[in-house]
Amino acid sequence: MSEPRLVARDVHVKIGDTPILHGASMSVHAGELLAVVGPNGAGKSTFSRAVSGLQPMEQGDVCWGGIPLGELKGRKIARLRAFVPQRAPVPAGVTVREAVELGRSPHIKAFARPTRHDREAVEHALERTGTLEFAERRLTTLSGGELQRVQIAVGLAQEAPVLIADEPTSHLDLGATAIVARLLRRLADDGLSVILVVHDLALAAAIADTVVVMADGRTAATGKPDEVLTRERLSEVWRVDASLDERGALHVNWLGR
Amino acid sequence: MTVRRSSVVLTATVALVAAAAASMALGAVHVPLANIWEALTGQAEEGPLRQIIVELRLPRTISALVVGAALGVAGALLQGSLANPLASPDVIGVTGGAGFGAMLTLLAFPSAIALLPVGALVFGITAAAIVFAIGWSGAHAGSIGRVILAGIAITALFGAATTSLMVAFSDRVQSAVFWLAGGLSSDGWSSLSVVWPYFLVGFLMAVFLARPLDRLALGDDVAASLGGRPRLVRLAAAAAAALLASSAAAIAGLLGFLGLVIPHLVRLAGGTASHRFVLPASALCGAALLVAADTLARVVLAPIELPVGPLMVVIGVPLFLWLLREAV
Repeated sequence: MSEPRLVARDVHVKIGDTPILHGASMSVHAGELLAVVGPNGAGKSTFSRAVSGLQPMEQGDVCWGGIPLGELKGRKIARLRAFVPQRAPVPAGVTVREAVELGRSPHIKAFARPTRHDREAVEHALERTGTLEFAERRLTTLSGGELQRVQIAVGLAQEAPVLIADEPTSHLDLGATAIVARLLRRLADDGLSVILVVHDLALAAAIADTVVVMADGRTAATGKPDEVLTRERLSEVWRVDASLDERGALHVNWLGR
Repeated sequence: MTVRRSSVVLTATVALVAAAAASMALGAVHVPLANIWEALTGQAEEGPLRQIIVELRLPRTISALVVGAALGVAGALLQGSLANPLASPDVIGVTGGAGFGAMLTLLAFPSAIALLPVGALVFGITAAAIVFAIGWSGAHAGSIGRVILAGIAITALFGAATTSLMVAFSDRVQSAVFWLAGGLSSDGWSSLSVVWPYFLVGFLMAVFLARPLDRLALGDDVAASLGGRPRLVRLAAAAAAALLASSAAAIAGLLGFLGLVIPHLVRLAGGTASHRFVLPASALCGAALLVAADTLARVVLAPIELPVGPLMVVIGVPLFLWLLREAV
C-alpha cells in the first residue's frame, strides 16, 4: 500500500479545562474512505477538526504527507486537506458558483485573477457534485441536500487530496443522504482520501473501507466495518443490543425486550 | 450579473461627480462651473470667488466625500466580518466613544474646541480598543457574539458618561447639539489635516481585506479550511472600521445611519455580497450620498445650514425602503 496521506497518533485535545480527546489515532491512504463513528460526545468532530488544524492540540503527532501539522500553515495545509463543516451559515446574496469559487482561494494570490485552471477546477467540482445545474442559484434558495453538495463542491475546488466531512448527512432525509453517500464513495474510488465523521452506522458500514470507532475521547477500534462493528462492540460502546447483518442492514432491539 | 454591478458603480460615480460639482457651485454664493474649473487648475485670478472655492468649498466637498466613503466602507467591513446585518460603527463602541470624546471637549473644555476632532478620534479608537481587548480574550475569543456583546456594554458605558457630561454642563449643551446631529463645517483643511493618516490606513486595510472577508461568508470553519485565519481577519476588519468611523466622527460628528444603510443599499442594488464589489461600491455610494446631502443642507434654507445627519436620513430612508421592497 502507498504511504498514508495522513497519520495522526495519540491526539489529545482540551477545550477550556475539559479534556475532550485523550489518545485518538488514525491514518488514511489514497482512495480510502475512512468513517469515524462513535456515540455523541465521543470526540469524533473534535478529532476531525484537530487533525485538520482547526482545533489546537494538547499533544499528539499529526503528519500530512510526512510533514508535521505544525509546519503547515495557511495555504500549505489548505492544499493538502479540505474540511467540510457540519453546518455552515448560508449567506444571502451568494450564488452556488460564487461559493464554490471561494474554494480556489488557497491557489489564487492576493489581487491575482483566477486562471483558466481555477475556472476549470470550479466547473469540475460543480460537475462532480451534481450542482452545475443550479450553479447560478442563490444559496438561500437551496434545500439541505443541495447545500451539502455545494459544501462538498467548495472542498473539491480546493483540489486537496484529502476531504474531511463532518457529519454531512446528519440533517438530511433518506434520499439526500443516499446522494451524498454515493458521491463520497465515488470520490474515494477516483483516488481521493475521504474522512467521514458520521452517526449512521449502517451508512458507515455500507460505504467505508475502514471504520474508526471513538469512545470517551479515545480510538476504541480501527478496521474493516464488519470486523469492527460487531454486536459486542455496539453493546459496549453504544449500550444497545444491535447488529449489522451481511447486507449492511442495522438491526436494533429498540425497546430492549 | 456583471452588467448589474457595473451599472451600480457607474450610477454611483455619475452621482458623485454631479454632487461634487453641485457642492462646489452651490451655496450662499453661486459660483459658475467655469470659474470652479479655473480656480482648481490655478488659472483663476486672486479674489473672493477663488478664495470661496479653494479655501471653503473644496475642503468641505473633499471632507464630505472622504467621510461618506469611510462610513460606507466601515459599515461594509463590520457587517461582513461580524456576519450581522445590523452591524455599524455603533456596534464596536466607536460611536459611543467618539461622542464622549467630542462632548468632553465641547462641554468641559470649550476653550480647547480646536481639539474636538482629536478628542473624538482618540476616544472613538479607545472605545473600540477596549471592545477588542474584551472580545478577543478568554474562552470563545474573537467569536461574533462576544465581540457584539462587548461592544454593546462599552457603548452603554460611554453613552452614560456622555449623558453625565451633558447633565453636569447643561448650560452649554446647546453648542453640542449640532455636533451630535452630525454635519460638516467650513473650517477649511484643519480637521482633515489631523485625521487623514487614519483614513489612509483604514482604506488601505479595507483593500487587503476584501478577499479574506469573502472567505468568512461560509463560516469560520470553511475560512479556516481555505487557509484563512477568521478571527484575525475579523479583528483586522473591525480595527479598520474603527479607524475609519472614528476619523469620520472627528470631522462630521455622528452620522451612524450612513454606515448601517449604505452597504445594504449596495448589496441590494448590485445583487451580490462579494466584498470585492461591496467595499468599493459602498465607498462610492457613501461619498455620493453625503456630498449630495451636505449640498442640500446648505442650499435648501440658505443662508441657514440644516444639520446633515437628519437630512441624510430623510433622503436615504425612502430610497432604502424602496430597494428593500424591490429585493423581496
